[in-house]
Amino acid sequence: MRRLTRTLAALTAAASLTALAACGGDDGDSASGKTTLVIKTFAQFGYEDLYKEYEAAHPDIEIKEENIAKLGDYAPKLQQWIATGSGAGDIVAIEEGNLSQYMTTPDQFVNLLDHGAGSLKGEYLDWKWDQALTQDGKHLVGLGTDVGAQGMCYRTDLFEKAGLPTDRDEVGALWPTWDDYLATGKKFTKAKTGAHFFDSAGSVYQNILMQQGDHTYYDTDNELVIDSNPAVKAAWDKTTELVDAGLSGNITPWSPQWNAGFKKGTFATIPCPSWMLGMIEQQSGEENAGKWDVAKVPGNGAVRGGSFLAVPKQSDHPEEAADLVKFLTSAKGQTTAFKAKGNFPSALKAIDSPEVKEYSAPYFSDAPVGEIFGESVKALKPVYLGPQNIAINDAVVAALTAVEQGKLSPDKAWDKAVADAERLVR
Amino acid sequence: MRKSSSPLVYVTLLAAIALSAFPLYWLFVVASRSNDVVGDWPPPLVPGGNLFDNMNRLFEAENAHFLKGMVNSAIASLTITVSVVFFSTLAGFAFAKLRFRGKNFLLIAILGTMMVPVQMGIIPLYMIMVEFGWTNQLQAVIVPFLVSAFGVFLMRQYAERAVPDELIEAARVDGCSTFRIYWTVVLPALRPGAGVLALFTFMGAWNEFLWPLAVLEQDNPTVQFALNQLSTGYYTDYTLMFSGALVATLPLLVVFVISGRQIIGGIMEGAVKA
Amino acid sequence: MATQLRPRPSVRDEAHADPPPEKTRGGLLSRLDKSGSPYLFIAPFFLLFAVFGLYPLGYTAWVSLHDWQMGGKGDFVGLDNYADLFDDPDFWNATVNTLGMLVLATLPQLLLALVIANLLNQKLRHMTLLRLGILLPIVTSVAAVGIVFSQIFDRDAGMVNGLLDLMGIDPVDWRADKWSSWLAISVMVDWRWTGYNALIYLAAMQSIPRELYEAADLDGASRRRQLWSITVPMIRPAVIFTVISSTIHGLQLFTEPLIFGQGGDAITGGSLRQFQTMSMFMFEKAFKNFDYGYGSAVAWMIFLIILLLTVVNYLLVRRMK
Repeated sequence: MRRLTRTLAALTAAASLTALAACGGDDGDSASGKTTLVIKTFAQFGYEDLYKEYEAAHPDIEIKEENIAKLGDYAPKLQQWIATGSGAGDIVAIEEGNLSQYMTTPDQFVNLLDHGAGSLKGEYLDWKWDQALTQDGKHLVGLGTDVGAQGMCYRTDLFEKAGLPTDRDEVGALWPTWDDYLATGKKFTKAKTGAHFFDSAGSVYQNILMQQGDHTYYDTDNELVIDSNPAVKAAWDKTTELVDAGLSGNITPWSPQWNAGFKKGTFATIPCPSWMLGMIEQQSGEENAGKWDVAKVPGNGAVRGGSFLAVPKQSDHPEEAADLVKFLTSAKGQTTAFKAKGNFPSALKAIDSPEVKEYSAPYFSDAPVGEIFGESVKALKPVYLGPQNIAINDAVVAALTAVEQGKLSPDKAWDKAVADAERLVR
Repeated sequence: MRKSSSPLVYVTLLAAIALSAFPLYWLFVVASRSNDVVGDWPPPLVPGGNLFDNMNRLFEAENAHFLKGMVNSAIASLTITVSVVFFSTLAGFAFAKLRFRGKNFLLIAILGTMMVPVQMGIIPLYMIMVEFGWTNQLQAVIVPFLVSAFGVFLMRQYAERAVPDELIEAARVDGCSTFRIYWTVVLPALRPGAGVLALFTFMGAWNEFLWPLAVLEQDNPTVQFALNQLSTGYYTDYTLMFSGALVATLPLLVVFVISGRQIIGGIMEGAVKA
Repeated sequence: MATQLRPRPSVRDEAHADPPPEKTRGGLLSRLDKSGSPYLFIAPFFLLFAVFGLYPLGYTAWVSLHDWQMGGKGDFVGLDNYADLFDDPDFWNATVNTLGMLVLATLPQLLLALVIANLLNQKLRHMTLLRLGILLPIVTSVAAVGIVFSQIFDRDAGMVNGLLDLMGIDPVDWRADKWSSWLAISVMVDWRWTGYNALIYLAAMQSIPRELYEAADLDGASRRRQLWSITVPMIRPAVIFTVISSTIHGLQLFTEPLIFGQGGDAITGGSLRQFQTMSMFMFEKAFKNFDYGYGSAVAWMIFLIILLLTVVNYLLVRRMK
C-alpha cells in the first residue's frame, strides 16, 4: 500500500506538471520569434497552398488554421468566442447566414477600412461587399471569400443504370424547372436502381428557397414574415411534393450515413453549391473519380451560402491579420481556393478570369464548373437573410424531416415550423 | 452460496456474457476492417487486417486532435482520481472514526450534496471559467471535479466497518498524529474500497462529456469530445469512428484486466453498498 | 487476498471509543491535533464543493431570475423564465422523454440484474471469470457505446433492422419515433449498467443466511417465490442504492442520445425532439441559443425533479417489504 500511495503521489505531481505545461503555450507567439496567426474556419476553405505561399513571402509569419467541420457546430462557438472576448484567434470565417447578426455589433471586429481595404471596393461583387458593410458605410466587418453558386451534382453510373442520359448538357436539359426535376426523379425511381433520387428534403428545400426572391424568413426591416412570404411556402410546397413522390433518401445531412452515401451511391443527385464539391470529392474517394458530374440546377441560378473573413477585435495582431485577409480574399487567392475545393469566387477579376472560366474539375468528369457556376452567379440576386435565419431554418428543416419520416402531414408540419419560428423570435 | 447449479444456469449466464461482450467485439471487428464493408449485410463478424492502418489514420485525422484528447483525458482523469480518493478517504475517516462538534450536521450536509449534480451548475461554472480565463484550458475540466460527495459518503461507510478502533487507539498510544494514523493505519485498511472508488471515479472522469463540450474547444478536447467530433465531422468514416471508440475504451479495459479481480473483490466486500 | 481484506467487524464499545485524553508527549500539540484534525480533514471537500458545486448551483438560481443573454448581465425578471418554462411544450416534451427513458432503462435493467445476480448466487465454476464477463460493459467508454449502438440501430444498414428483415418484419426508422428512439437509447444504458447492478445485488445476497432458504425449501416454496419473498426484502438497501443512483444518472442522460442523434442538429434530439432529454434541452438553451437565464431555470427544474424523485424513490422502496 505504501508503495502504491507513493506512486500515486508521484503520478499526481507529474500529472499536474504536465497539465501546467500543456496549458502554457497559448500566447500566440512561438519561440522562434515568429508571429502566429490563428485562423478559424469551418467546412473547407481550400487555403493550404495559399498559407504556404504567404508564409514563404512573410518569413516572420506562421499561420495556424483551426477547422470545425460542421457549420452547425462552428456558429455557436464563434458566437461564444466573440461574446466572451477570447478564443477567436486572429481571423474568423463567417458564413453569410451568421453575418447579419454580427452586423448589429460591428465593434467586435476590426474595421478593415482602417487597414486599407477601402481601395478594394470595386474588386468584389457589389452586394457581397455591401453585406459586410455597416449601413452608414463606415465600418467594414469582413471581406468576401466565395459565393455559393449552385449546381446539381449527379452520379453518371446511376443515371446510366436508370436509362437516363449521362451527358451533363442533356442532364441539365432534363430539368429546366423543379417540376421537370420531379418528373425525372419519378423516371429514375421507376428504374429501381436501389438508390434514392436525392439525399434529403433539407438539401432540396434550401436550394429552391434561395431561388424564390430577395428575402426569406425576414423582410428587410427584420420583421418575421415566414407565414406571409409566399416564397417560403412555395419552396416548402415544392419540396413536400418531391418527398411525396418518394424521391428523398431521408438521410440527415452531415451524418455518417450521409457521408458514406457519397461513396456508396445511396443517392443519385444532390443540389451542390460550389463549396460542396471539395467535400463530395473527399467523401466519395478516389475509387469513385469520374462517377460524379455537375449539371445546371433546376430553376434560375441562385446562391446558397458563401462566406467572409473578418478580424476580431480580440486579435493581438490586427495589422498582420488584416493583411492576410486581404491576401486570402484577393482575386488570386479566391482563384486558388476555387481550384482546390470548388469555392466559387466573389471577386470580379477572379470570376472573369480565364483561369476560373475555363476551369474544369477533373474529379467530376472534367465538368466545366467555372462555366456552370459562373452562369449561376450571373443570374442571381442577393437574398436578405435576417438575424435568426439559421435557427428558423433549422426548425423548418426539422419539420421537413418529420414529413419525410412520415410523422407529420405537410400541413401540420408547416404549422409547427411557423409556430417554432414565432417562438424563436419572441 | 446456494445449491449447485444446472447446465441451464451456465447457458443463461454465458448468453448474458455473450451479450455483454458482443458490442465490444464488434467494435474491434469494424475497427480492423476497411470502410467499405460497413453497412453490408450480413455484417462482418470476423476481424480484418486494417487495424493499424486505421489507427494511423485516426491519429493523423486532421482537426480531430484525437491523440491530444487521449493525453488530456489521461491527465484529467488521473488527477481527479487521485484527488477524489485522497480527499474522500481523509474525510470519510474523519466522519467514521473521529469525534468533533457538528459532525452529524455536516454528514447530513454531505448526504444532501450527493444529490447535487455538478453538471447542473454548468452555466455559472462556465461564467466562472470565462472570468478565470480558463475556457479551453485543461484545468477547467479538472478542478470542478476534485472532490465528490459520493466518494466521501462511500469511504465513510467503508471505514466504519473496515477500520478497527483498536488499531487507531493503539496508534494514538504510540503518539502518532492523526494524519499519521490516517496514512499508516486507515488508508491501508481502506484499500479495497478505495480501489473501487478509484475505478469509478476514473471512469466517470474519462466519460465526462457535457462539461467538456461546453468549456473546451475542438483543438484541445477530451477523448469523448474528440470521439464526438469524429462522428459528426466531414472527415468521418465508420472505421475511423470505430477505431476511435476502440482506442478510447482501451485504457479502461486495461485497468479492468489488470485489476478486475480486486475491483470485483471490492464490490463484493460491499464497498459500494449504501 | 479477499479474505485478508474482508473488513473486520467493528468492536466499538464505549470504553474504547472514548479514551481519556493522553498525557504523553506534546500535550498541547496533541490536543490541537485531536480537535483540529477532523476539521482539517473534511475542509478540502467542503471548500472545493462550495466553490464548484454549491456556489454555481446558487448562482444558477440567481441567473434563472434574470433575462441573461451571453455577453452581459440582464434585467431582473423574477419568475418569468419559470413561467415561460411551464408554457414551453419543448420543455415538457424533454421532461416526458427523460422520464420515459428513465423507466424504460431502469426497470428492465434492475430486474435483469436481479435475475443474473440470482443465477450467480450459487456454487459455480469460474466464478471470477463469470463476474468479470458480466461487468465488462461498464468499462466501455460512453461515447463508444453511443457510436456502436447508433450503428446497430441504423435505419439502412443496422444489425437490428437486418435481423428484423430476416424475420420478415419491416425495417424500423429508429430515430423517427419516440418509442423506437427511447428503446434504442435505453438499450445502451441497460447494456452498460446491468452487470454492475447485478454484482451489487450479488454482494448483498451473499450475506443472506442460508438457513432462511433451507426453511423455505422445507415449506415447499418455489425458487421464484423464494426470490421475491426472501432475497429481495433481504437486499433492500442494495435495491435502494441502485434505484436511487440509476434515477440520478437517468435524469441527467446526455451523451447517449446526443451521439444517437448524429448529424444535423443533434442537440434537439430528432426532427420532432423525439429523444431530447432535459440535459440536452438545457444545453441547447444555454450553449446554442445562449439564453443563460432560461437555461438556468431549466437546470434548476432538473435539480428539483432529481430531488423529488429521489425522495419518492426512497419512500417507495422503503415501503417495499
